[in-house]
Amino acid sequence: MSETPLIDGHNDLPWQLLSQFNNQLNKVDLNTLANTHTNIPKIKDGRLGAQFWAAYVPCDTQYKDAVRQTLEQIDVIHRMCQKYPEIFMFATSSQDILDAFKMNKTASLIGVEGGHSLDSSLGTLRTMYQLGVRYLTLTHSCNTPWVDNWLVDTGSEPSEHKGLSSFGKQVIAEMNRLGMLIDLAHVSEEVMNQVLTLSKAPVIFSHSSAYTICPHKRNVPDDVLRRVNETKGIVMVNFYNDYVTCSNTASLSDVADHFDHIKKVAGADIIGFGGDYDGVPRVPEGLEDVSKVPNLVAELLKRGWTDEEVKAALGNNLLRVMSEVEKVRNKCTHARTQIHTHTQIT
Amino acid sequence: MRVLRSDMSSWKRGKRASHSFWKQSIEALVVFSLCVKISGCSDVDELMSTYPLIDGHNDLALQLRIRHNNCLSQVDLHNLSKVSTDISRFKAGHVQTQMFAVYVLCGAQQKDAVRLTLEQIDVVRRMCTEYQEFELVTSVQELKDSKDNGKIACLISIEGGHSIDSSLPALRMFYQLGVRSMGLTHSCNTPWAESSSNFYPVYKRENNSLTSFGKVVVEEMNRLGMIVDLSHTSWNTSSAVLSHSKAPVIFSHSSSYSICNHSRNVPDNLLLELKKNQGLIMVNLHNTFVSCRDEANISHVADHFDYIRKLIGAESIGIGGDYEGATSFPHGLEDVSKYPALIQELLRRNWTENELAGVLRNNFLRVFEQVERVRDQLSSKLPSEVQIPFEEAHNPCRLILKRPDPRSPSSDQSSGAEGGLPALLILATVLMLSRIFLIE
Repeated sequence: MSETPLIDGHNDLPWQLLSQFNNQLNKVDLNTLANTHTNIPKIKDGRLGAQFWAAYVPCDTQYKDAVRQTLEQIDVIHRMCQKYPEIFMFATSSQDILDAFKMNKTASLIGVEGGHSLDSSLGTLRTMYQLGVRYLTLTHSCNTPWVDNWLVDTGSEPSEHKGLSSFGKQVIAEMNRLGMLIDLAHVSEEVMNQVLTLSKAPVIFSHSSAYTICPHKRNVPDDVLRRVNETKGIVMVNFYNDYVTCSNTASLSDVADHFDHIKKVAGADIIGFGGDYDGVPRVPEGLEDVSKVPNLVAELLKRGWTDEEVKAALGNNLLRVMSEVEKVRNKCTHARTQIHTHTQIT
Repeated sequence: MRVLRSDMSSWKRGKRASHSFWKQSIEALVVFSLCVKISGCSDVDELMSTYPLIDGHNDLALQLRIRHNNCLSQVDLHNLSKVSTDISRFKAGHVQTQMFAVYVLCGAQQKDAVRLTLEQIDVVRRMCTEYQEFELVTSVQELKDSKDNGKIACLISIEGGHSIDSSLPALRMFYQLGVRSMGLTHSCNTPWAESSSNFYPVYKRENNSLTSFGKVVVEEMNRLGMIVDLSHTSWNTSSAVLSHSKAPVIFSHSSSYSICNHSRNVPDNLLLELKKNQGLIMVNLHNTFVSCRDEANISHVADHFDYIRKLIGAESIGIGGDYEGATSFPHGLEDVSKYPALIQELLRRNWTENELAGVLRNNFLRVFEQVERVRDQLSSKLPSEVQIPFEEAHNPCRLILKRPDPRSPSSDQSSGAEGGLPALLILATVLMLSRIFLIE
C-alpha cells in the first residue's frame, strides 16, 4: 500500500454531514468525529490514497429541488477539502491522484450518485463536470426520465425505458465526450448491458459486488463481469453485509470471497474497492470502518494474490480506467456537443 | 473647442450659397467642420481602439435560448439575424468585453430556476470557448490580457437572485463556474431582496426589503469576490446594500431617474450613496429608460451621462446597453456596432479623453479590482453556512432532509427498506406544515 494508492469508489460521508449536521462543517471536527465510519484518523490508519466522495441526494428530490441539493453536496465536498488541506487534495484526474499520493494526501474526487441530480439536462451535466464531478451513477434507486434503476429487476418497479431511452443514450455519448466516468452501480441489468455496448470508454461499478456470491440485484452477474473485462472497466466491491452475504451479518473473509470470485470469472484487472462506508448501516466484522481496509489487503495476500494483482485492485485498475476515459475525451475534443436541454418523454 | 457636424449634406448646401462673404465664410466653416468631423471620426475610432468598451449587460444568451433552444450548432455567431448582437457588430462597435447575463425567467422561481441557470451558464461558456474571437474571463488580469490578445472577453453575470434558490452553496458553485456578478433581483422579489417591479406578487414584505439572509448573501458575495449588481432592485434594497456591502457595487444597466422617472432608474439620493461607495452606474440604452417614451435619440442618452457626471462625476459612469434584453433602442444606437456614435456625441459635448476612457472601461476595471481586493482581505473568512429559515423560503419545491437520528437508514439501505426515509420525510413535512399553520 506504500507503492500504490488505495482508491475507494464510494463513500457517503457527505451524506452524513448533511443528515447529521446540516452541512455545518464549521461546527464539525473531522479529526474527532465519533459516530461515522470515516474520520481523519481512520483515513490515515486505513491508508486511504484516494476517495470518490458521493454527492448524493435522495430520490424524493427528483422533480423538486434535486439540482440545488446536489450543488450543496458538491459544495460541502469542496469545503471539506479546503478545511483540511493537509489531509485532502481535491482531484479531477488520474494524474491528480498520483500527485496527491506523492504528497501523502488523500486525493478527493466527486461522484454524483443518481441521474435524478441532472434534472434531465446536459447543460447541468456539463456544469457539474466543470465543478469537478468525475463520475455519475446513472440512477440511485429510482427511474429517471431516461434510464431504469435496479429495482426494476426485483419486480417492485416497472421498467419505463427497457434500459436507456434515446435521451439516455445521448447522456452516455456526452459523458464519453466530457471524460466523465459512467457508473453502473444501482442500474438495472438491461442498462448495464446497453451501456457496455454503447460506451466508447470503459465503465465502472463504484460500489457493487458479485451476484453469484450473493444474488442481490444490486450486484453484478457473471456475464456482465466478463463484459467489463472485455471493455477493460472496473467493479469496485461493496462491503455492505446485505450485498456481501445477502444477510445481516458478514465477515472480512466473505468480502474476500467476492474478490476471489471476480478474479476467477473475469480477471484481477477489473477489481477495485468500493466500500460504501457511511452509506450503509451494517458492515462486516473486521471491516467496521475505513481504518480496517488494510486487513482486507492482508487477507488477499494470504489467499495467494500476487503483489501485482493486489496493487491492481488497490488502485492501478481504477487509474487505468480513468486514463482511458481521459484519452477518449481528448479524442472527442473537436466534436460538437449534444445540445438537447429537455428529455422528450412526457 | 471641437465642432462636429454629423450631416454631410450641409456641406453640399454650403457649396450652393450666394457668392458673398457669407458664402465664403460658410464654405470655410463647413469645410473646417467636415475636416474636424473626419478627424473627429478617427478620434472616436482611435479613442475606442485604445479604450475599447466594457459593456455591463447583454441578453444574447436569453435570445439563444428563446430562438434556438441553446443549440449553438444551428447558428453562426459571426453574423446573426433578428438580434442586435453578433461578433461582427461587436468588432465594429469596439466592444472588447461583454458581461453576458444568464437570466432565467422569474416564473422559474420556486420551480427549476437553478437548473435553468446552469443551462444558461453552460451556453455562455460554450459560446465563449467554441469561438476563437471570444475568451471567457473571470478576473481583472484575464480581462486585461484578453485585450492584449485581441479577444472579446466574456464575463458571466446572473440576473436575479431567484437563480440561487436562497442557497449560499449554489451561489458558491455559480462563482466556481465563472459567474462574477449577480443582480440581486430581476422583476420579482426573492425571499430576501426586493425588486423595483410589482409584476410578480410574490414574497411581499413590509419594511424588510433586504432581509438578514439578504445581508448574508451580500457578505458572501463580498467574500467570494462577486460583484453585487443593483439593477432591478427596489430603492430600499439598493440603499440597504449600499450601506452593507464592503465592496463597491454596480448598476449594470440602469439610467438616471431625474432625466427619466422610471422605477428602473436610479434617483439622485442613491447616486450620491453610490458615489460614497465608489461604485458604478452603467447607463442603460433602452428607450423606455432613456426618454420615458417609445422613442429616443442619442442626445437623450447623452443627457443621462451629462446629468450623472454633474451629480457624482464621470468616474462613476459606465455603459450597460441592455441589448437583447429590450426591444427598442434610440435612433442611431440600434445595435452593438453603434456605440461609437454615442461616444462621438459625448466628445461633442466636451467630455475629455480621460473621462471617456473611464466610461468605456477604466471605471469598471477600478470597481472590479476593488471587489477582488476586498475578496483578498476577507480570505481568512470561512464560507458562510447560514441557511434561510424554511418559512422565509416558502417554496413548495424545497424538501427538508434533516434527520433526527444519527444512526437511521442511509443511502444504500433505503434502496432496500421502503419504510425509513420516506416516513421521516413525511414526518418532517408534517412538522413543518404544522409550524406554518401555527404562525398563521
